[in-house]
Order: sequence, then C-alpha cells, then structure tokens
Amino acid sequence: MKGFIARPSNEHELVDFPELLRYRHLFAVLVWRTLKVRYQQTVIGVGWVVLQPLLLTFVFTVIFGLLIHMPTDGGQPYPVFVLSGLLVWQFVAQSFQQATSSVVGNAHLITKIYFPRILLLLAAIAASFFDLLCVLGLMLAFMLGYGVVPTAGVLAFIPAMLLAAVTVLGLALWLGALYVPYRDVGHLLPFLTQIWMFLSPVFYPLALLPPKYELVYALNPIVVAVQTSRWAFGGGEPPAASMVAISCAVAAVLLVSGLWFFRRHEGRFADVV
Amino acid sequence: MSAPAIRVSGLGKVYTVNELRHRRTLSERLWRMLRPAPATGNMPEHLWALRDVSFDVEPGEVLGVVGSNGSGKSTLLKILARITTPSTGEAEMAGRVGALLEVGTGFHPDLSGRENILLNGAIIGMTSAEIRSQEAGIIEFSGVGKFIDTPVKHYSSGMFMRLAFAVASHLLCEIMLVDEVLAVGDAGFQEKCKSKIQEIARGGGTVVFTSHDMAAIERLCRRVLVLSEGKVAYFGPAAGGIGEYRRLAR
Repeated sequence: MKGFIARPSNEHELVDFPELLRYRHLFAVLVWRTLKVRYQQTVIGVGWVVLQPLLLTFVFTVIFGLLIHMPTDGGQPYPVFVLSGLLVWQFVAQSFQQATSSVVGNAHLITKIYFPRILLLLAAIAASFFDLLCVLGLMLAFMLGYGVVPTAGVLAFIPAMLLAAVTVLGLALWLGALYVPYRDVGHLLPFLTQIWMFLSPVFYPLALLPPKYELVYALNPIVVAVQTSRWAFGGGEPPAASMVAISCAVAAVLLVSGLWFFRRHEGRFADVV
Repeated sequence: MSAPAIRVSGLGKVYTVNELRHRRTLSERLWRMLRPAPATGNMPEHLWALRDVSFDVEPGEVLGVVGSNGSGKSTLLKILARITTPSTGEAEMAGRVGALLEVGTGFHPDLSGRENILLNGAIIGMTSAEIRSQEAGIIEFSGVGKFIDTPVKHYSSGMFMRLAFAVASHLLCEIMLVDEVLAVGDAGFQEKCKSKIQEIARGGGTVVFTSHDMAAIERLCRRVLVLSEGKVAYFGPAAGGIGEYRRLAR
C-alpha cells in the first residue's frame, strides 16, 4: 500500500482519480448510510420519496391547472406536466442542499480522519439519484394512467440529469467550501434554492417565456434539464441546441472552478470547521 | 538500516488566532471593511502550534509523543494523518496509515452494531473484503453478543467503546497513529489497547501514540518525543524523555 507526503502546498491536480477509486468502498458506505438513516424510524420509509411529489403534483394541479388554467407543453395532461418538471427539480433541490451542507454536517469526521472530502458531496448527490429513481417509477404510473407515450427524448433524459448533477456539484463545491468558515451559507441555502426554483420552468412551461430571452435563461442549466424531461415524457419541444450548448458550458465552468476552489481550501477544513 | 517509516522534517503549523475569531460571519467581515478596526488589538496573532519539528521513526518502532496539554501533540498527529496540512516542512509516510484519533469515529447512533462495523470500518480505511472477512472476529472480540443488531444508541458506554475498539483493532495498516485512546475506558480496556500496540509492532508495524500515562510509555516505547509549546524539547531513549516530561511539568 502506498504512503504519502504531507506538504504545505495545495498544488494538487483538480481531481485525483486513482485516489477516488481507492476510496470507492467508503463512497458506497456513505451513500448507504445517508439513505438508511433518512428512512429509518419512519412509518412509511421510502414511501416518502413518492408521497412528496405525489402530493405536490396534486396541489399544483388544483391551483395552476384547475384554477389558473396555466398552459402546458404540447397538450400534456397537467399532472404529467407538473411531475415531469418536479422530478428533476426535487433531485436538484435535494442534492444541492445536502451536498452543500455535507462538509459542515460531517465535521465530526473531517476533524478525525482523512479521506477525499469531495466524497461527502458525491455521496449526497448519489443518494438523491436513488430518490429520483423512485419518482421515475411514479412517473411511469402516471404515464400509464393518462395514456401518455414517451418520445425519443427519453434517450436525452439521462444526459440531461447528468447536466443537472454536474451543475449541482459545481455549485455545491463552491458553497460547501464557503460554508466551512462562513455559516451564513446555511441561512442563504433555502432562500437560494427557492429563487432557483422560480428561475426554472417547474410550474410553468418554457414556452411562456419570450423567445428572445431564451439564451439568458439557458445560463441556468436546470432549464435545459427540466425541458428535456418534459419533452421525454410526452410534452413540448426539445430545448434548442444553442440553449443546450450554453447550459453545458455553464455547468463545465461551475464544475472546474468549483473543483479548483474546493481543492485549494480542503486542506484547512479541519482547522476552521 | 532500512529506510524510516516516518520522516518528519521542519514541520510547522501556524494558526492565525484573530482570523479564526473574526471570520465566522460574512457580515462581520464586511463591517470591518467599511469601518477599519483600530490598530491595536486587532492585528492577526500568529500562534505556532508546531514549529520546526523533525524526527524519524523506524519500521517496527513504537514512538511515544508526550507533552502537556497544548504542546502540539494532537496537531502533529493530525498532520501525520493528513487531516490538516502543515504550514511549513513535510512529513513522509512510507506505508498505509491508520489513524485512531478517537474511538468510534463516525459511529451513527441510529444504526445497529453490525451496521456500524461496516460504517466505521470503511471510515477508518478498511476495504469491503477486510470488513466482510473479519466481521465475525470483530463481533466476537467486542463481546456485545446478542446486542449486535440493536441500534448503538441503546448501548452502554462500555459496550459502545468495546465495539468501536474491536473494529479499530482489526484495521490492518503499516503505520498506526493513536491519540489519547488509552485515556478512556477502564483498566481492562486500556490493557487491551496496550497489547494491541505491542502486537502491531511485533508484526513489523510502526506506531506513534500520544499519552500522559508514563507507565504505558515506559512499557511500550523505545524512544520518546517530548513537545513543549510546539517545539521538540527532547527526542531520544524513553527513560530520558520521561524525565524531561516530568521536569517540564513541574
């Protein structure tokens, strides 16, 4: 087994892949712990994963569909329209909040043992993927119930979720590292998440927006992810190629800059947390 | 003579005291930018927790690190364990490092004993194959018996500690760092810890451990490192180190 040299400089490569690979077992255990603890000592356990979006879909169908008559994409039944946006959004909101809080939330580990700190963020995001899979099951039931046929967009769904995950990871690397010395981040987090939701077409169709603002709107990669999900599950148009390009560029910049920032500061997390 | 298992040269760690005190919230920082602080009392104070520490540890050696509270023992171990980075110098560790800075790191109260073996084992660096093959041995060694599938929040502190130590003692590594673990637990528990340290060293492993228990130091260590205010006050044979520790404590 190899040793190491502890040095003051923080000039690491952005990602040490061989090291992450050596720690894959810890990663798996951290994901398992997150899920196990989240649903232990609850009466309906994993049922919460499905119940939350189900109830939200019902509420929004009544408010926006029946009372406000919000248009949907391409005549999608309203519940399918809401859920196809909500399943992306719930993944984003949950993984973003949990990943950002993961370093501070695991201070008792950070101060006692070494492991690549990014594992905490990756495990938080991976655990949210599990919830996403459960909600996809609910989506399937909805589609059967409403007789909605998936489109070719289903093939784009996985890349779109990866785009969302990369965006979340990039932001969480920045905010998670800032959270360590500045507890302000903890107060900012729910607020930021809420604003982010309104900036994403979760409860309204993308088509509602004037087309000339599309490219500005695409600075938020979650727009492209949500629109891809709508398209995949039977409604609306695929996002324009120019929007996809901008979103991918934004996600890449967030990821690379986030990795740089996180790596620069992770050596001192144990001192300030 | 073989290459050292641990080679530490010129190691230092500086904490900026005022920075720690004044960087907690962003608003405080902004406030300070708007209204420059008076010149006195707010200059950052540099506190060297460790300064210019150098020593070598041979493979198979048990090194005792002693010193009063605040002398830098824990900081040294944290740097050797890679929990924090040094400010100056470097520490070269030739082998897989296992760090036991507390008993039961990462134990989750809501998980059962068996589940915590998996969790804590992974955290302290065991592979899944190691945990699987040693699970039965760990349970046996811990003596918690039929409570192994009970959430550990229902354990007595003694049971909790025995289980945590059982996991730790099944960790295979070439270099083991142990911080004050001997200070917790009853006499029987401490005895187990000491025999474990001897066993590791007999197997060719290297151990660095901190303690205030001079009897344990005398029994286990050939050489001792005495730290005082972050500096090396003594490094050499155990008997002299214990004398130096007693002299400093006076």
